[in-house]
Amino acid sequence: MSSPPFSASRRQFLALGGIAAATAFLASCAPGSGSIFANSSRPELQFWHLLSGGDGVTMSTLLDQVQAAQNAYAVRPTVLAWGEPYYTKLAMAAAGGRAPDVAIMHATRTLGWAPGGLLDEWDLDKLAALGVSEETFSAPIWEKGRIDGKQMSIALDAHPFVLFYNTDICAKADVLGADGRLKPVSSPEEFLEMLRAVAAASGGHALSYGYLGDGAQMWRLFYTLYTQHGIEMEMPLGGTLGIDRDVAIESLEFMQQILDGELAAAQSDYGTAVAEFSTGKSGFFLSGVWELRTMQDAGIPFDMAMIPTIFGTPSVYADSHSFVLPHQSSPDETKRDLSYRFVADLLKSSLGWAEAGHIPAYLPVTESAEYSTLVPQAHYAEAAQHVTYDPPAWFTGSGSNFQGDFGGAVQPALMSGSDAGEALDRFIDTVNVRLLQPNPADPTEVS
Amino acid sequence: MTAVTPRTDTSLVVTGSPRHGRRPARSRRDELSGWLFAGPFLVVFLLFMVWPILHGIYLSFTDQSLTGAGGELVGFANYADALSDPVMWQSLGNTAWFTVLSTVPLVLIALVMALLVDRGLPGQWLWRLSFFTPYLLASTVISQIWVWIFNPQIGAANNILTAIGLEPVSWLQDPNINMMAIVIATVWWTVGFNFLLYLAALQNVPPQQYEAASLDGAGTWRQIWSITIPQLGPTTGMIVILQVLASLKLFDQAYQMLGGVSSDTTRSIVQYIYEAGFVDYRFGYSSAISYIFFALIVIIGLGQAIVTGRRNSAKAGAR
Repeated sequence: MSSPPFSASRRQFLALGGIAAATAFLASCAPGSGSIFANSSRPELQFWHLLSGGDGVTMSTLLDQVQAAQNAYAVRPTVLAWGEPYYTKLAMAAAGGRAPDVAIMHATRTLGWAPGGLLDEWDLDKLAALGVSEETFSAPIWEKGRIDGKQMSIALDAHPFVLFYNTDICAKADVLGADGRLKPVSSPEEFLEMLRAVAAASGGHALSYGYLGDGAQMWRLFYTLYTQHGIEMEMPLGGTLGIDRDVAIESLEFMQQILDGELAAAQSDYGTAVAEFSTGKSGFFLSGVWELRTMQDAGIPFDMAMIPTIFGTPSVYADSHSFVLPHQSSPDETKRDLSYRFVADLLKSSLGWAEAGHIPAYLPVTESAEYSTLVPQAHYAEAAQHVTYDPPAWFTGSGSNFQGDFGGAVQPALMSGSDAGEALDRFIDTVNVRLLQPNPADPTEVS
Repeated sequence: MTAVTPRTDTSLVVTGSPRHGRRPARSRRDELSGWLFAGPFLVVFLLFMVWPILHGIYLSFTDQSLTGAGGELVGFANYADALSDPVMWQSLGNTAWFTVLSTVPLVLIALVMALLVDRGLPGQWLWRLSFFTPYLLASTVISQIWVWIFNPQIGAANNILTAIGLEPVSWLQDPNINMMAIVIATVWWTVGFNFLLYLAALQNVPPQQYEAASLDGAGTWRQIWSITIPQLGPTTGMIVILQVLASLKLFDQAYQMLGGVSSDTTRSIVQYIYEAGFVDYRFGYSSAISYIFFALIVIIGLGQAIVTGRRNSAKAGAR
């Protein structure tokens, strides 16, 4: 402290250090810096998504293909953690009006966002000029993107809940048809009969279904069974839940029948179920199409099918990864146009996306000859015609509290086989409380 | 929380420039360099502590949503809502219950472990290491470990139960015991820190006292009861305070271990603040709950300060 030269040099050092840090900080804030795709001649589109793991790898390959195929734009992807962390950040970016150019959302989540102006509308004429229109999507998937007559999202895929089956075990149990695919069943009794045959052949459980601590898993199977009765739930804001209690109890009790400890483990979590099926210890596995890669890597002989129509009406629970235009206060027109083009390009090359298990939403892809030779993907593609999404409400959708609330209400009943009606009443109560809360994105909205 | 350090003979006292009397010529320069040193901290402190606290109070009086909607002043509506919200009261109750359930074993087990190690279990370093290591793990890691241990089908906990002839238990799924499961995991995880504090304090107990006691014929239990535990008094007080504050913050391990299922019996108040703000996007409401919780902590803190203050002054008077 007392020695001036030392003190001065230290100050200089600190000052230099400060300047260096500030420069580095400013440089890192500069637009376009740090991008692996940085290319001064091409406008750069900011693209946010929540796909990691196997899906993330596939998406990154697709992006590389799309970028290599043209010179008009470059894409800078930003990947954020799945679920709430992603939606929180996207909502804040859109609320500030400085959102990314394009983003992926679950189709079920757009409903809570659109009324508050967090999303910009897609211009259908512009899309049609690029070969993307209502005719190029299956009806339920296209409809899900429409909110109050406006197109708020364009689906990339549908990822339904499906049935995986081990072809060796199923052949032994004699539940395969002449074409090597699962024989059709059309009633709860037939399905249970089939499970018993498979259990005898597998030497262990017939079915792997992990649900412990996973509200989404419980909801996916429950809502598939519920909607197979030909009805959906109604959630009117400010009203009360429209639910057919008898149908709901029948669906829940059917799940309890399966989870009897013989046909399926009574208490299994998701990881345990994956492990059980992927090591060939069970014949069936209920999960989303996204586990396709895992099972292929496991090297077991398996095929996939749409969940059998047990209760009369074909229906499978699904969600879609959809493209949205998060709200920008002053969108750059060139970039907007290029965003449309990017989405069209990605849809057209979404055959690659099918490799991750998802059913591409763009019909020219799923109707192509190439897709029909893609097995097992082609074997469950018909599910896209029968997808059912979460009941529309601002608080439902993938990664929302709603599915966790459902799990909290029914998990004890599934584990112990206790009164299904009581569990349902708990669920109905939580939904009715939610229905009284206004949509935080648009507190003035009344339906 | 506050910058006021009571000046006692043992505390580390940082003296700034004294404000009384004539300042020496160089004191102004010293003052400047003092501010320069404190500057970076002050900037961060103001930006990330003071400002959010003030802004949070403001938000709690608005219907601000994370999505940018709302923002109108609504007076005490959020507070009124919160005070009549059964979920908030239940979450507060859960946090309080967890604090009680976890603080007692976290103090007692730490003390027992420290006594065992100090009283010469063979291989002291090994015990010290194994008791403290879990504390170094991230909450995400311990959550994963305990989710596996508590797995009702293939978990170690149920294996042990069935091996000794008991019924298996759905640790994390049964609403009657999932809080217990979280307490067990938390004790395993954080007891090492309290253990270390106790061990350090034990090693500061003057050996002459034990020597004198044993000359007077006091046995081991008598020594522990009459020398060790009274000597550890201040440390116990500090551990209890630290532990209560840490337990009140319950969030990450419970949130991670319960996964994607809402659980009314383990949702802590911090988790409810998170859910209200970041899942349901109700910033105003979430801020209001935060300040209700904050007020309760301040009350606990004041109560505790009064109690220890009284104890200290009683001691000072006795001196």
